[in-house]
Amino acid sequence: MEIFGQLFLNSLQISAAYILFSLGLTLIFGVMKVVNFAHGEFFGLVLLLIAILVPWLNSPSVPLVVAYGASGAVSILATMACGWFLYHFAFKKFQRDMVGSFVLSVGLSLLIQGLFLEFFGGVPIKLPDLIEGNLRILGGAITTQRLVLTLIALLVAVTMCWLIAATKLGKSLRAVSEDHEAAMLQGIPYRKTALYGFLIATFLAAIAGALLAPVTVISANVGSDFLIKGFIAIVIGGLGSIPGSIIGSILIAVIESVGGYYFDPSLATLAMFVITMLVLLVRPKGIMGNG
Amino acid sequence: MGNARSSTILYVALLSLLVLGGSLFTGTGFAASLVIWVAINILLAASFRFVQLIGELNFAIAGFAGVGAYVAGVCTTKLGLPFVVAIVSAALAATLLSLIVGYITLRTKGPYFMLISFAFTEVLRMVYTQIDYIGSNSGMLGVFPPVLLTDYYPTFVVAVVLLSLIVLYKIEQSDFGKVLVAIRNNDAIVQTVGINVHLTKVMCLAISSFVAGICGALLAHANNVISPDDFSFLLAVYTLAYIKVGGESHIAGPILGASVLTLLAQVAMGFGPFEHIFYGAAIVIAVLLMPDGLVGIIRKLLGLPPKPQAAAKH
Amino acid sequence: MKNLKQVYATLAFAALASATNVHAQEIIKLGISAPMSGAAAVWGLGMEWTAKQAAEKINLEGGVTVGGKKYNFAVVAYDNKYTAAEGTKVAQNLINRDKVKFIVGGIGTAPISALQSLSERSGVMIFISAWGKSVKGPQFPLTFTQSNTPFEILDPLYKYVLAQNPKAKTVAILNANDASGKEVELVAQKAWAALGVKVLSSNWYERGTTQFQPVAAKLTEQKPDIIDLGVAPPADAGIVLKELGVLGWKGVKVLPVGTSATQLAQIGGAAANGTYMGYAGDYSSSLATPVQQILNQGMLAQFKEPLNPLQVSSYDSVYALKAAMEASNSIDPKKIAAVLPTLVFETSYGKTVFGSKAIYDSPQQMQVPVMITQVQDGKMVELTRIIPEELKARLAAAK
Repeated sequence: MEIFGQLFLNSLQISAAYILFSLGLTLIFGVMKVVNFAHGEFFGLVLLLIAILVPWLNSPSVPLVVAYGASGAVSILATMACGWFLYHFAFKKFQRDMVGSFVLSVGLSLLIQGLFLEFFGGVPIKLPDLIEGNLRILGGAITTQRLVLTLIALLVAVTMCWLIAATKLGKSLRAVSEDHEAAMLQGIPYRKTALYGFLIATFLAAIAGALLAPVTVISANVGSDFLIKGFIAIVIGGLGSIPGSIIGSILIAVIESVGGYYFDPSLATLAMFVITMLVLLVRPKGIMGNG
Repeated sequence: MGNARSSTILYVALLSLLVLGGSLFTGTGFAASLVIWVAINILLAASFRFVQLIGELNFAIAGFAGVGAYVAGVCTTKLGLPFVVAIVSAALAATLLSLIVGYITLRTKGPYFMLISFAFTEVLRMVYTQIDYIGSNSGMLGVFPPVLLTDYYPTFVVAVVLLSLIVLYKIEQSDFGKVLVAIRNNDAIVQTVGINVHLTKVMCLAISSFVAGICGALLAHANNVISPDDFSFLLAVYTLAYIKVGGESHIAGPILGASVLTLLAQVAMGFGPFEHIFYGAAIVIAVLLMPDGLVGIIRKLLGLPPKPQAAAKH
Repeated sequence: MKNLKQVYATLAFAALASATNVHAQEIIKLGISAPMSGAAAVWGLGMEWTAKQAAEKINLEGGVTVGGKKYNFAVVAYDNKYTAAEGTKVAQNLINRDKVKFIVGGIGTAPISALQSLSERSGVMIFISAWGKSVKGPQFPLTFTQSNTPFEILDPLYKYVLAQNPKAKTVAILNANDASGKEVELVAQKAWAALGVKVLSSNWYERGTTQFQPVAAKLTEQKPDIIDLGVAPPADAGIVLKELGVLGWKGVKVLPVGTSATQLAQIGGAAANGTYMGYAGDYSSSLATPVQQILNQGMLAQFKEPLNPLQVSSYDSVYALKAAMEASNSIDPKKIAAVLPTLVFETSYGKTVFGSKAIYDSPQQMQVPVMITQVQDGKMVELTRIIPEELKARLAAAK
């Protein structure tokens, strides 16, 4: 029975990361009908910036927590600025063009990853732990740090859901997502809403990066792996659906930890892709999707 | 229209003759490899573009090329079959697979088909890594063209590519090709005329995959080593780059795009992360600034009217 | 406006394409094919660095003199990303484009197999550190191995570990799912079995994996006494060790391909302590030669990591090459390869030879000491050093 506790904990911590990621992806798709393959690079940028800033700031006079906090804040702001930049010069022109935006974002992703590799170098970096210690819960083991980060991630996810459901901005986002022309007729500023949507999504990816910085081995293409999984999650859950992205993320996190344990991690990934294909064939809108 | 078409064809034909002629003198050196890579990339791009006639982005092209490469590799190294048999088997295997996959997946359109084809390529790649018979992760070694061809392999490849390009072009210009374009514009109308749209789309994919299978076989014998990573999503992305840079509206587009990008990348850039930066930048620049690619620029320079149907949009 | 855009586009392309090319002089290029990004990045980068040190030193001292003519060395290194696909491209770039005739460093059985299929055909001589047996033998006359491999390391390493931990009776093995992993795993299984240790499970992971919790859980499932991490490079091994620590597993940790404590400790934390490593060595104390101590300090300054046998192997290969070139008075790889096994030449370790015909059917293995080390308190401590018998015999005979 111990193993179920362990698998549960593994799934939980993996899904937290994917949830933050896919929330952003699905938001961009829902609002702008844009498939952003470069989303992972925001995540990567934050991680890389933190990887540079924390060792630089961390010294006897600057405690680790402050170093992490400051680096996180700076990196998130920098990434948001990049997001704004990319929106204005690239994605704005490709709204509602799923194919064109995909192609553009694929190019951007390649370009940015190449630049990361060039400037950051090939050697992976692991930053020092923020919180020490392990816990045993339900018979499984998890580091205190990961547990805290998972809980914060889930908190962010819940806040996002609330934002979408209850606030005016959230309602605008949903309206635009369902029918952007009708939304415009209602007086909702489409361009502004799309911009906010893109920025919120960027912010989510950035927060994911900041939260995962203490527990991830950071390298130039760290964004890719998360991105692919995030994509699978939102396709399965439903492109454009917030609850769908959460369900999708949990599903693939479970497949990854359970499948990886009982079978083979590569078979687990294979299974995920096959499921993606099946979903696209049988129910393209995904589990919760409204297209 | 006729004038514009024939002058571009002339341009392309001259370019091809140049390449064919040049390749006769290159033997087995690096220049020879370059000629081969450019030729195969051109054909891959043309094959990808062929499916764009029905308005779809076929990312599975990398998967089908991979099938072709592995089948050819197995024929040559494990089964000891003659070279021609290897290539033909490769093309047939890819076509067969595409008929099955196409029949199932072409019921979806646009971004959904794109995502499915992307997932399919990755699934195939992962399947290759699980099969020890073909070397799984470490790949298959020793895929050599027959001894007679070793010095003339570039010529052979260029000849095959040229032939395939002409065939693709002829199909595009034929009535069948016109039906494909009509499907891209509005498949409901085509259906009303009594044409089985679904089967036509499947045929289109099959033709493209036949060519992709040939590309894979040629590539396997050119590189002598093939492995799953050679046929990942990235190959499809590079192919897309060739088309975006070259221009989608004419078959000269893939030719120009593939030649320019492959040569530039080799000659100017060196190796390593630059490859990603280069191709990524190429796609971004092409998509943002050159919607009709180099072909579009040439049209402008020659004072020709722009082609009405530039890209596959949904 | 559209015209302007197209002008910008063409200009952008021109700018992109205008990187200048370095043109070659009368130098001999030495190639390296090794991972320089990802989990094994420090291996390739370190190898490149030591090779460059050797080349610079030789050039400063007057270069290589062959047939009355002086040549300088220049190192050309490419990242093979530990994959066959990239290894093929690297091989084609090095051999076909850069016209390199000598490769002084190769890591990764899969990319090196790809390299070899081209190099042997093209008459290019290669010095490799790949761990597979499939890349060695008389059918590859131009291939030489520059550092120790499982056949040299595993037996003494496992014996030593068991001597220190006599109660250990079971082992779980982990390896990367590629040629390197597959070949090492076979040797490891035999070696453990020969020593009376039961192999509970043999597990695989894909290179590029980031989440190792499932792997760690699987390894500890049957509660093995020992966990053997095979060819896992430093970053991957570090994460696995950390996850094993989180699960609370306390057993004997063995990393045959362990090259340094630095990354293991940085990533694995306290869980890395106690790990036995087979591919590291003490190059800072008097156990090492002065040359090695200088190289070690250089490595620390450049990479914040001490020197390891894998990285110093390319330094030694460059010197071996120089010796063979001058002895055969030729820059023809075939002639040099024929002479090399007969020579006693100077390396960073002192004098050494190529041998091991008994194991590989051809004398192509550089005879260097096997050093067994352990991570203690985040630092590497050398436990014992074994000089190959064949080397002792050859050196004695040469006197």
